[in-house]
Amino acid sequence: MLKKFVSAAAVMGALTTSALALDVDPALKDYKKLSGVEGSMKSVGSDTLNNVMALWAEGFKKEYPSVKIEVEGKGSGTAPPALIGGTAQFGPMSRPMKSGEIDDFEKKYGYKPAALRVAVDALAVFVNKDNPIKCLSIAQIDAMFSKTRKRGGKADIKTWGDLGLTGEWASKPISLYGRNSASGTYGYFKEAAMGDGDFKDSVKEQPGSSAVVQGIASDKYAIGYSGVGYKTADVRIVPLSSKDGGTCFDASADNAYAGDYPITRFIYMYMNAKPGTKVDPLRAEFSKYVLSKQGQMGVIKDGFYPIPSAIASQDLKTIGAE
Amino acid sequence: MTDSYIPRGQAASAENTAGRRTDLRSRGEPALWSLGGALALGIIMILGFLALVFSNGIATFIPKPIAVVTETGGQVTAGEPFRSESFRPTVEEVATLPPDWQARIKSAGGMVNRTLYRMGNFDVYGEDFRWVADYAVAKREFPANMVFVERMEWGPFIGTVKALTIDGNAQPFKSIEDPVFLQAHQQALDRADDIRDIERGRIGDINHRLENERLALRKVELAEGRTSAAYRDAQDRLNTLSVTLQRDYDALAAEVTKLREASARNTLTLAAVGGEEKTIEFAALVRIYPANDLGFWGKVGVYLSRWGEFLGGEPREANTEGGVFPAIFGTAAMTLLMVLVVAPFGVITALYLREYAKQGRLVSFVRISVNNLAGVPSIVYGVFGLGFFAYVLGGSIDALFYPERLPSPTFGTGGLLWSALTLALLTVPVVIVATEEALAAVPRSMREGSLACGASKWQTIKYIVLPRAMPGVMTGVILAMARGAGEVAPLMLVGVVKLAPELPIDGIFPFVHLERSFMHLGFHIFDVGFQSRNAEAGKPMVFVTTVLLIALVTIVNAAAIILRSRLKRRFAGSQF
Repeated sequence: MLKKFVSAAAVMGALTTSALALDVDPALKDYKKLSGVEGSMKSVGSDTLNNVMALWAEGFKKEYPSVKIEVEGKGSGTAPPALIGGTAQFGPMSRPMKSGEIDDFEKKYGYKPAALRVAVDALAVFVNKDNPIKCLSIAQIDAMFSKTRKRGGKADIKTWGDLGLTGEWASKPISLYGRNSASGTYGYFKEAAMGDGDFKDSVKEQPGSSAVVQGIASDKYAIGYSGVGYKTADVRIVPLSSKDGGTCFDASADNAYAGDYPITRFIYMYMNAKPGTKVDPLRAEFSKYVLSKQGQMGVIKDGFYPIPSAIASQDLKTIGAE
Repeated sequence: MTDSYIPRGQAASAENTAGRRTDLRSRGEPALWSLGGALALGIIMILGFLALVFSNGIATFIPKPIAVVTETGGQVTAGEPFRSESFRPTVEEVATLPPDWQARIKSAGGMVNRTLYRMGNFDVYGEDFRWVADYAVAKREFPANMVFVERMEWGPFIGTVKALTIDGNAQPFKSIEDPVFLQAHQQALDRADDIRDIERGRIGDINHRLENERLALRKVELAEGRTSAAYRDAQDRLNTLSVTLQRDYDALAAEVTKLREASARNTLTLAAVGGEEKTIEFAALVRIYPANDLGFWGKVGVYLSRWGEFLGGEPREANTEGGVFPAIFGTAAMTLLMVLVVAPFGVITALYLREYAKQGRLVSFVRISVNNLAGVPSIVYGVFGLGFFAYVLGGSIDALFYPERLPSPTFGTGGLLWSALTLALLTVPVVIVATEEALAAVPRSMREGSLACGASKWQTIKYIVLPRAMPGVMTGVILAMARGAGEVAPLMLVGVVKLAPELPIDGIFPFVHLERSFMHLGFHIFDVGFQSRNAEAGKPMVFVTTVLLIALVTIVNAAAIILRSRLKRRFAGSQF
């Protein structure tokens, strides 16, 4: 899905990313404050996006001090029911809605929910900082995490020795960390890395993205997946290749945009917007804020990668907020 | 054979004593030891837990020195030394080291120390922590000019002050104690306060009035239809009001813009240790201190001011920085509301069960059910609260009383009231059981005396039984309160949120807003601990918040215990 936009982004030549600090696409618009925006709204959805939603809410409230925004994040799966029930105006999700969820929405409103792509997240595979592993292929990851091995791994991978590590590592069993099943990260990893196979029972399911990283930080022989933004000094991100023996790509912004890094996803914000009509000013302005320079700085602050301006303007058009 | 040899005389005396002494088991000695041991173990575990939480929590806000580390590779890192550990470098890595280090690592069994530095400057480096191994350190200094800057955004900045601009004019930077600097900072903070007052207070008020009028219009529309005269009246009212309010709003917004512009003319240019520069407004400066040049009282000052911000401030940067005042407030408000519900309910139920109900199979069954309620997992109460209170009760309240606000729910979603009711349900068995015990403990002679004097049953209960049972009832309420204040799981379903825009009690009519969702210390701990981007930086905040939650529960309990002992004293003299 990302690859489609690579050309657009490349043509614009607008993506400047340095090795250290990331910057937003300079073609993104500056957010301009309007008058007469007020009211209250609520966001219910992904816990991965909890922080960035809170940052957006803080930034938006700086522009419009009287707007009230509530942020609730207990997993992507909670977003569709909240949107359908009308208890939330925004449903941030770390995965696209499933067709069943879209059908439920359509049954009630007669149209599909509008989706904004608000950030790019490279799902990183973390190991302890002392782990010497250089590179992993998707098939190897699948053979570690999955009991069904749909990515074509021949044998189950149980120890670090199975991945070619020597010395003290060779005989040590791999300890697996992952997210709980309400999480969009769980669903996306399952789909993108395991071909919708089943997780092994030995995966330790954690209640939050940073809990995965903390688990790996304190367990020397651990491996786990979480958003790239949750990296700490105690863990290391393993470069990944899509094929066995292929080139390994680091989870950098450039590799994510180019589609070289194999587990990259968009992060969405869903809302109830009738196609062909304009949404109310409050929601329109919030969406514009999120997809502005200021909003995308928040994305960087929370450790995700920002959206290129081509995608931002395309998505804003769908809700009539351009 | 020597082992089994016992001198004759001694063996005989041993037999004699065994015959005279009672059996060890029946003397209760082992039971005493195991009971005492269990108690000691329990106390040790509790003390250990408290020591862990308090030592981490209390140390968090102490200002630490800033080390500038030059590595052998040339890289320079400036940061607070966060923690150290020993690790085993790989064979290849050791091979690249100079021989003296190779020898040292070898003599230490292949292990070497490394230190984690908190570098800050996330906007410059893209990461805020860095491990440096001891063998990579060429030079480690603590320069006096390094400052630790806490900012409103992007977390701390560690580096030096390069220049400052006051009122648009560049000024030489002398020191942080320079009156020009202090004055500029104080002015910036005052200005930020003014902006906040205008935005939150006065603009908020305008919006509130406008919103009320709009809701009134919608209400008329629902009741009388769009074509009615009343609707036209309401619309006119809204229009005239919005014109005047818009004028007020514009004036206030202009004032804010002016303040903001004034703010933007006072800036501070900071330089990171690698030379990267950042210019920030004084208004974005929370606190700045020379970490390596801070006397004892300076440290105390920073420490106390950090606590002050933590207790009284609002959270910033997605709750990982700033204060937790809304969470303290939410926890206290919810717990008190819960007590208001649970105490009368529990006492009334227990009174009926103990004093009025005919003791039989039905009452035993009810009693067993109540006891079983205490064993239901708390998350089940959360699901019940969401399904029954929020959706069924709240949904009907919305349909009946707030149709103009639909489809956005008022009571039809989680909120303070539903949370308090859910927790009241969760804790009511505790109160019932404690109250029943207390009622049963009132001597029969006292009731009989009262009845014999001609008092009715209700008079006896009211004047004789209940006052004497009060300390026991209080115990039940204290237990319920302690349980309620620490419970998080059900609240996550019925009203606790990560970021609540307003406090549940404020100056806007009707002052107590039971429908609002709120922040809670327990959830704050979960959120900062497991959801924040930087787990390393979030950890100390988890400990601090835990200390605070424990302190809050202790204070509330202590207050209730004092009240109870007063009650006890009042009746101590009147007993035989």
